[in-house]
Amino acid sequence: MSARDYTRFELAHNQLAAAIALYITNRDRLSAITLAGAADVILSQLVLRSGAPNFTDRMLEKEVEAGRTAITREIFGREINDMLFINQLKHFDDDAQEIIELDVDECALAAILKALANYVHMPEYKRDLVLAFKVWVKQNLDPQRYNIDCNPTWSPPPSAA
Amino acid sequence: MQKLHRTDIARRQLQTAVELFLQGLDRSSVITLAGAASNVLNSLVRRAGKEPFVDYARRVHDHLVGSTPKRQSYSHHIDTKLGVIAHKHLGPKDPNTVELNLEQMAADALARAIADYTTLYGQDEQFIKAYLQWAWLNTDGPAQMEAFKSVPAKLRKK
Repeated sequence: MSARDYTRFELAHNQLAAAIALYITNRDRLSAITLAGAADVILSQLVLRSGAPNFTDRMLEKEVEAGRTAITREIFGREINDMLFINQLKHFDDDAQEIIELDVDECALAAILKALANYVHMPEYKRDLVLAFKVWVKQNLDPQRYNIDCNPTWSPPPSAA
Repeated sequence: MQKLHRTDIARRQLQTAVELFLQGLDRSSVITLAGAASNVLNSLVRRAGKEPFVDYARRVHDHLVGSTPKRQSYSHHIDTKLGVIAHKHLGPKDPNTVELNLEQMAADALARAIADYTTLYGQDEQFIKAYLQWAWLNTDGPAQMEAFKSVPAKLRKK
């Protein structure tokens, strides 16, 4: 195969689809974090190019409304990625510890959801991919802990909060 | 919560990258996973007091061009050549399309990661053997070994 032009959306879509496949089959959820994280970097920028705020912007706006001091998109985005261990899985600095502790399942789920939040803002997004993941979520996650119906007004029951 | 050593993180990403590659699945994902594994392995190789792939490449550059590039900038250059950067970064001024040879880049990204992996852990694991067998059959292993005989000793991997 020779070189050809790829749209950035293609590169992001293919990585996100692979991340979802690795996650829902439980084949390798650690790698799902890396792939969803890479896809999301591209998608975040593409959403901005469309003139809309991306997931990081929307989350930061909520944080500021809740009383947090405003910070830049870049700093807040890094905070989110660090929380999901996206950077720690692809970087290993000279002064970093050799052992890290994380909840792989939770980080992979969150990394995919974050990427999907940007993905669905793209006009060329594949509806079937999103639906497949939503069906898996509805059938496999605990409704006491997760918003399995993607209801925007949902909040965890008091017993699970 | 799980405690994971960086070795486990690199191994899992590299193993999945090899499996996706040999099964003919998404090349972009192979490149990203091999790239992430390479970053981790590079540091592990250096911590073990051995020569990582990037330093070997810098020695080759010195032999061919007469200068030794800085490690960080040469590592970034290699990441760019292998398509790793295009898959994990998009700057505000970057174009919406990018020209890539995904098949070649995926094979080469795996080769780099496996070079560092085998420096640390040898060639005995099944996924390593599987990739090396693929490379032997698909990149004319006998011809490469013949060419290797004429490589000066100082240009061979330490």
